[in-house]
Amino acid sequence: MILCVAIVGQQNNPLYLQSFAGGDDVLKFHYIVHCSLDVFDEKASILRRTGTNLNDNFLGLLYPAEDYKVYGYMTNTRVKFVLVTSDLELKDLDIKTFFQRFHAAYIDVTSNPFHVPGKRIASPMFRDRVKTIVSSFGQL
Amino acid sequence: MAPAKPGDAAFANVDHVNAELFTLTYGAMVRQLLTDFEDVEEVNKQLDTMGYNIGIRLIDDFLSKANVTRCSEFRETADVIAKIGFKMFLGVTATVSNWNADFTECSLVLDDNPLVDFVELPETCQGLYYCNVLCGVIRGALEMVSMRTEVKWARDMLRGDDAYELRLKLIEHVAEEYPYKDDD
Repeated sequence: MILCVAIVGQQNNPLYLQSFAGGDDVLKFHYIVHCSLDVFDEKASILRRTGTNLNDNFLGLLYPAEDYKVYGYMTNTRVKFVLVTSDLELKDLDIKTFFQRFHAAYIDVTSNPFHVPGKRIASPMFRDRVKTIVSSFGQL
Repeated sequence: MAPAKPGDAAFANVDHVNAELFTLTYGAMVRQLLTDFEDVEEVNKQLDTMGYNIGIRLIDDFLSKANVTRCSEFRETADVIAKIGFKMFLGVTATVSNWNADFTECSLVLDDNPLVDFVELPETCQGLYYCNVLCGVIRGALEMVSMRTEVKWARDMLRGDDAYELRLKLIEHVAEEYPYKDDD
């Protein structure tokens, strides 16, 4: 089950966080997402040093914990997407597809002329769309 | 009654632009207007005026390319706008419906609206008619062919309605005036 998805901006500012776990776990997820940012930097710098061309935005598993796993995806504009899941056995392909759809939704919401880039995303339409993507996760 | 086909031909005849570029350009313009005027009502008015100025220029382009004959009555005019006009400039068609008893007022229901892709109105702009420019265009264009009209949005999906509907109302036919007299 997907517990939470989040978007973090270029300056590591939180843009969006949606929790699916129920209860008031939002703070905990903010914490988890925050922790994952270091891993993002680390992975990105390794890729830069080895000269690997990052054609693929998907960064894979960022770090595992006892009862959840954190996956990451970074766009070429260095906006980071984070997925926290409680499923411990997931196929990379599923997650990749999920991130691609999530990315597409993000592109659409930033194309809204009333959205200010770098500001928090507060669109109800986007929230619903993310919910749909999350609920159809792994069924494709 | 104009069949759908002339609209397709007219659409193929004109230059096309990338839909996203168009949508984003329009969005940026509306946003800038909101910043400049800071008042939603004023922005609605500005959009209408801009549309009017577009319309009075666009009509000549339309008439020269669309290959339409003179409309004998207002009903035909509405059909031409819906089936050929919209198709030629926006790539969509509209449906004409809801005529009043003496055929001076009708609704144009847009099948699709390329101006509003991605758009979501924030709460501070609830009174905004985002596509008000279209009203101005139609009003301006019809005025150049001696019809005074009033065009308003009746339903707007951005404001929570279930369709995009323009209400088109004919006020009067203006007689064509010549600058000289016959016996001069």
